[in-house]
Amino acid sequence: MTVEAASPAARALDRAQILRQRRRQALSQAARTVVTVAVALAVGFAITVAVSDRPALAFRALLTGPVSSLSRVGTWIEDATTLTLLGLAIAVVFRARQFSLLAEGQLYLGALAAGIVGLHLPLPGGLHLTAGLAAAALAGFAFGLVPGALKAIYNANEIVSTLMLNVVAVRLYDLLLTYWLKPPTAGYTWSDPLLPSAILPRLAGTRINAAAALALAMVAAVWVLLYRTPWGYELRMVGANPHFARYGGIPTRRVIVLSMALSGIPAGLAGAHLVMGVHQRLILNISLGLAFEGIVVALMAGNHPLLVPVTALAYSYLRIGGDIMERTAAVGSDIVRIIQATIILLITAQLTRVRRVRRDTGDDR
Amino acid sequence: MTIGDVLASIASVTFVAGVLRVATPILLPALGGLISDLAGVINIALEGTMLAAAFTGVAVSALTQNAWAGLAGALAVSALVSLILGFAHLHLRADLILAGIAVNFLASGGTVFALYSLTGDKGTSSRLASLTMPYVHVPVLRDLPVLGPVLSGQNLLVYVAFAMVAVVWVFLYRTVAGTHLRAVGSNPDAAATAGIDVRRTRYLALVYSGLLAGLGGAHMSMGYLQLFQRDMTAGRGFIALAAVFLGGRHPVGTLLAALLFGAADALATQLGSLRIPPQYVQMIPYLVTVAALVVYGAARQRAAGRRQRAMANRLVRTEAGG
Repeated sequence: MTVEAASPAARALDRAQILRQRRRQALSQAARTVVTVAVALAVGFAITVAVSDRPALAFRALLTGPVSSLSRVGTWIEDATTLTLLGLAIAVVFRARQFSLLAEGQLYLGALAAGIVGLHLPLPGGLHLTAGLAAAALAGFAFGLVPGALKAIYNANEIVSTLMLNVVAVRLYDLLLTYWLKPPTAGYTWSDPLLPSAILPRLAGTRINAAAALALAMVAAVWVLLYRTPWGYELRMVGANPHFARYGGIPTRRVIVLSMALSGIPAGLAGAHLVMGVHQRLILNISLGLAFEGIVVALMAGNHPLLVPVTALAYSYLRIGGDIMERTAAVGSDIVRIIQATIILLITAQLTRVRRVRRDTGDDR
Repeated sequence: MTIGDVLASIASVTFVAGVLRVATPILLPALGGLISDLAGVINIALEGTMLAAAFTGVAVSALTQNAWAGLAGALAVSALVSLILGFAHLHLRADLILAGIAVNFLASGGTVFALYSLTGDKGTSSRLASLTMPYVHVPVLRDLPVLGPVLSGQNLLVYVAFAMVAVVWVFLYRTVAGTHLRAVGSNPDAAATAGIDVRRTRYLALVYSGLLAGLGGAHMSMGYLQLFQRDMTAGRGFIALAAVFLGGRHPVGTLLAALLFGAADALATQLGSLRIPPQYVQMIPYLVTVAALVVYGAARQRAAGRRQRAMANRLVRTEAGG
């Protein structure tokens, strides 16, 4: 009478069919991805040929540059670490359908907090590192509470409030750096180097530092949070259908506030990574719109935490390859930007097409 | 300069005229953002569109020695940029926000590349003899006692910007095309069922929005300043999006929001002459906006609460009467 009545054999057959269908889809998706990447690279090459007198050299720098030496691999992983953390931050808020763009501001305040702890709070070895990271995470979390509360209480549009608060955070960072943290004798607008105990240890001979492991731990943490806790379920429900979630008794206001605050933890840690790992001091303009790169990473990963490090690695590869192309083949960063934009356009066009096919087949995604 | 001097200068005519000038390159893209947002396609690429138009205006006006040709070129390029965005999203089904970000990258890289090819300079177009749009002295306005100096003598595009508020309002609320556009934005499926071509409407909305952003970009390089600088729009496209939402997604609200940004910006410049670190002053416009957002939200909530109570009262009365 009911579906339950289907025999075990029939169910096994169904499952085999579904698995076969999934495999076919995965294959066709892989084929499409290969084609898209090939087309994107061809377009990139065409642009390079048009502007460079040594196009082969320039394009090889873009394609193989990031893996051409151990130190370059290190630079690539270092950059991907920052983007993974920012991608996670964006994925959390986008999953809750909160278009908070606060990650940039949270990064700045995280960097500021980590820098202050690293410069002025002498603590023994491991404790100092922990304190710096914790301060950054806390700063990001606390800053996220502001637009979260404004939206939950006053229904203030989060796109507007976060864009505005970002500028406030950046100016605050500039202010404290210029008038307090910068030594009066420094030629550049930057602080002294952090105390050695606050510098993230590097893997021998490369720029890869301990934050890479931290980023992977955050990937796991965000995945557990979103998919293995009741709280993550509530967050995804609010993102999928806020009205349904509210009628289902989910405290949507709390979810809104907490999603923006929690996304500040990886974003703040990204700032800590820049200060305690990459630059080892506070510098002016520590990020020029890195959060936008984080949006690209998160959206290409379909806001799925486990895919974020993958897309971060891919996107960083393009960024670092572009840098190397600029340095070794004198192709300007403006051209690199154009090539990046073209590749993003082509790849997103392809990715969304696959996702739509999946929805049509009723596959739960 | 003392605080008194600053206060006096704020009350002055030049300050108000300055507000109009500063608000223009926010108002124009904001109206564009409003149109595309009401059609359900948020235009993240306003920033890049402005930048491309600002460059094209300078380049074409310098090459042809005709400011109007420059403006036409700026508008053509902004329409083209919007079509690229529309094609990526509406035909290739790329994510709209991602495609918008990509278009911004494209404009930022493309303008610097074109500038370098044209002048050998990657920073500014100062080597190009570019033209500006005319400054208009309106005959009647000019002679008004206090308002005269404020309202007259502005760049032509400033007047265009304020006229566009009315044009956009009429378009959205008094024409069939505008009604269709809003229908597509509020419920695309219903609109499609009613026989409206959703994709075409969204293409048009993106193009209109691009043209308005293009006017704003042309004002940046052919009025506000008299040259092109790399990344000269400096986030105005995003501030414009903020103005759309702050203005409650309505042309008049958007105008008020743009004026608020303009006033706060001009104020920051005035206060900059006091001995305050500029960073404090530069925070002001943004804090003002957040405050405005809170006040607006609170007021709207109070109004909603009142409506609800009134409705409850009426229900009680009806039931008592029945």
